Amino acid sequence: MNRKSALAAFAVVLTAPFAVAAQTVNLDPALPDYKQVSGVSGSIKSIGSDTLNNLMTLWAEGFKAMYPNVKIEIEGKGSGTAPPALVAGTAQFGPMSRPMRATEADEFEKKFGYKPVAMRTAVDALAVFVHKDNPIACLSLQQVDAIFSKTRKSGLDKDIKTWGDIGMTGEWAARPMSLYGRNSASGTYGYFKEEAMANGDFKDSVKEQPGSSAVVQGIASDKFAIGYSGIGYKTADVRAVAISRKTGDKCIEANADNAYSGDYAIARFLYVYFNKNPNQPLDPARAEFIKFVLSKQGQQGVIKDGYFPVTAPLVMNDLKILGLMM
Amino acid sequence: MPPDSGHTFTTSGAARATSRPTDLRARGEPFLWGLGGALAFGVMMVAGLLLLVLWNGFATFYPRPIHVVTLVNGDVIAGEPTRTEDFRPPATEVAALPAAVRAGIETNLGFADRTLYRTGNFDLYGDDFRWITDYAVARVATPPDLYLFERLEWGAFIGRIKSVDLAGATFYAGGIPLDRLVAAHDEARRRWRQIREIEHDEIGRVNQQIESERLALRKVELRSGGPATDYADAARRTDARVVTLTGEYEGLAARAAALKAENARYTITLTEIGGREKSQNLADIVRFYPANDLSVLARLGVYFSRWGEFLTAEPREANTEGGVLPAIFGTFAMTLLMVVAVAPFGVMTALYLREYARQGRLVSIVRISVNNLAGVPSIVYGVFGLGFFAYIVGGTIDQVFFPERLPNPTFGTGGLLWSALTLALLTVPVVIVATEEALAAVPRSMREGSLACGASKWQTIHRIVLPRAMPGIMTGLILAMARGAGEVAPLMLVGVVKLAPELPIDGIFPYIHFERSFMHLGFHIYDVGFQSRNSEAGKPMVFVTTLLLIALVALMNATAIVVRNRLKRKFVGGQF
Repeated sequence: MNRKSALAAFAVVLTAPFAVAAQTVNLDPALPDYKQVSGVSGSIKSIGSDTLNNLMTLWAEGFKAMYPNVKIEIEGKGSGTAPPALVAGTAQFGPMSRPMRATEADEFEKKFGYKPVAMRTAVDALAVFVHKDNPIACLSLQQVDAIFSKTRKSGLDKDIKTWGDIGMTGEWAARPMSLYGRNSASGTYGYFKEEAMANGDFKDSVKEQPGSSAVVQGIASDKFAIGYSGIGYKTADVRAVAISRKTGDKCIEANADNAYSGDYAIARFLYVYFNKNPNQPLDPARAEFIKFVLSKQGQQGVIKDGYFPVTAPLVMNDLKILGLMM
Repeated sequence: MPPDSGHTFTTSGAARATSRPTDLRARGEPFLWGLGGALAFGVMMVAGLLLLVLWNGFATFYPRPIHVVTLVNGDVIAGEPTRTEDFRPPATEVAALPAAVRAGIETNLGFADRTLYRTGNFDLYGDDFRWITDYAVARVATPPDLYLFERLEWGAFIGRIKSVDLAGATFYAGGIPLDRLVAAHDEARRRWRQIREIEHDEIGRVNQQIESERLALRKVELRSGGPATDYADAARRTDARVVTLTGEYEGLAARAAALKAENARYTITLTEIGGREKSQNLADIVRFYPANDLSVLARLGVYFSRWGEFLTAEPREANTEGGVLPAIFGTFAMTLLMVVAVAPFGVMTALYLREYARQGRLVSIVRISVNNLAGVPSIVYGVFGLGFFAYIVGGTIDQVFFPERLPNPTFGTGGLLWSALTLALLTVPVVIVATEEALAAVPRSMREGSLACGASKWQTIHRIVLPRAMPGIMTGLILAMARGAGEVAPLMLVGVVKLAPELPIDGIFPYIHFERSFMHLGFHIYDVGFQSRNSEAGKPMVFVTTLLLIALVALMNATAIVVRNRLKRKFVGGQF
């Protein structure tokens, strides 16, 4: 492990200054084209995930370019704020970076008599970021758990506190890891806790940040930092570490192909929830917004925001459930 | 310099003892130095912060040169150098370097430099910033034919012009008539603004009318409790109106479509430094300039045109580009509304407390409570505003006045009015305290004189006391305004949102929309700083927005101070 990571680190460092282009993600050509219709007006308000905040804003901008007088307001303070807003009717859309919990859905059902509906709008590889000078090539999920969790439910018997604990040498060996994470209203926090830490508890030393971008900025200015947030927030100052499912397994890079295939262990869908009465069609503004988001034009925005677009079969499936045609 | 305040102490101290330290302490000298030092420290911190914001804010929009960097391995990169830092390259890498470079790093104690380039072209590269290690660079050039294009989407493009298609006439690199290109670009941009005007204002008006017809019908339906005859009549009338309006809409849409089709005939093909091409409508380019071939005057032109866009345009690309007009407007409108709400409340409370109430235990308790209110964390006000104003008051208003819009809330959610009221609550203690002080400072002799002349108590307050206290009251309002304009935390709960391009005041009845959510400069800073996709690209925007917020607060304060000074001047020599 030690020798291997050093070797890989060497390769990474050597290529890093010369790397010409990051991988660009392509749209699924089978995605439907969005066709403008007439007579769409009204107002759309979205309250929810801040991971999806920029994405919702990009969609809103695109949608507004087509339907100038649809009023749009976007608010994003964490996935946890979406279900209450949908229940209270203060928002038409509730973007969430994790699936809705059963208790939240029940709360909604209690008021309306049916469950909220979700569409899958994008794919995100939840990335573990380190400073750009950090040579670490790969971490296993168990190591990630031992780094961030104090309960270590994934079964690693030893706590990981310093970079030396995962076999790094030189100036890194004695330096403690400085941990960055999200606040508890965030869906990223919830998803990471569930998938990477088997619902264990975060260490008290994790610095909880108010936004995913703040996590990345924290890591960028702290050479010995490690943190997690959506791949869309990657900058030139940080690097996403490859993740393997178990120690010794193959290391999987956080990229589109691995996220689609499911090889990357902590990839997830980004959802948008809304209130749809199963016995009534959606009003035009919402229906068109949904169609726009799932179209080629909408998925272009996903790429623009650094996430991975959904594929055509997924879109068709979601649209069929919603009873919408393109 | 220390004044002579300590003289009496020195003489008596010198007579009693000769020990110097006691002397100094007695004279208060160290204390004085401490005071001066604290003041200097405070001024330095404020000045430093201001300088940082000013420098970064003002420098952001100045166009930078574009470097073409050829790397040792043959790769070529074009970009604006953004910042440089030193780092310690890993030993494995240093070992692989040529001896001369290695020696250079060794004399530098193992450190090497690297530069962050903004390469743009996010749609082609998948990233827009890149670190280049200095020793990996073979040479740097600044060719004059490189352009920077600011686009409506995908951010900047850095590259060369390959060809231009101006309504059928195609020109290729080398033979592009620049003046014609610039003229065509201006034309295309003008058409683009026209399209936006049609879409935003005219189609907006039509859509608004259709929506209000729909709501009016719903109201009839709610009143008649289902399909009755008057409902059927109303429905027929509404349908007829909607048909005419839809016709109007289609006419406008056709006009916009024609302009769009015209714009599609003007295209430009760009090549990035690696040779990949990208075709673009001219209308989708905000501005372009040859970054390495600009006179100082042209640079200033770009600089001010960027400022103009920033101050007057709507945000684009999830708030990281374009302007902040809605945020400026929202901040301004909310602060004014807050002052309108807080001034009468604060002044009346203070008047009663100071002039009418019998000074006793109860009034003391009230005063203590008011003073304590000033210490309550602002987020608590936010929670109160959301619960009381938005949910209880707003929810009731919705049920009584806007039942046809339910379940979509009108006033039952955060909005301009609730934000202003919440901030008014937050700042009312400041106004009360300041007003009380000002009232207390009006000389007793003036009141007694007025009363002796036969004026009633209210006449005395109205004609004598209040005018004299006005400058003090204004000071209180200025403090309240400064506090309110800079407050963000409670607003996040009661109406400030990331994106709300609709201004709260516009040309559609009832002109001021108290119920609308709005954007705020303070929240914009937070949003762009901590939430934007690329924090690197967002940083300059944070500084510029901060600069703007400071300027706006300073401007509002300055106006209030001018008004106060006028009032003061009015009463100079007005003593009995």
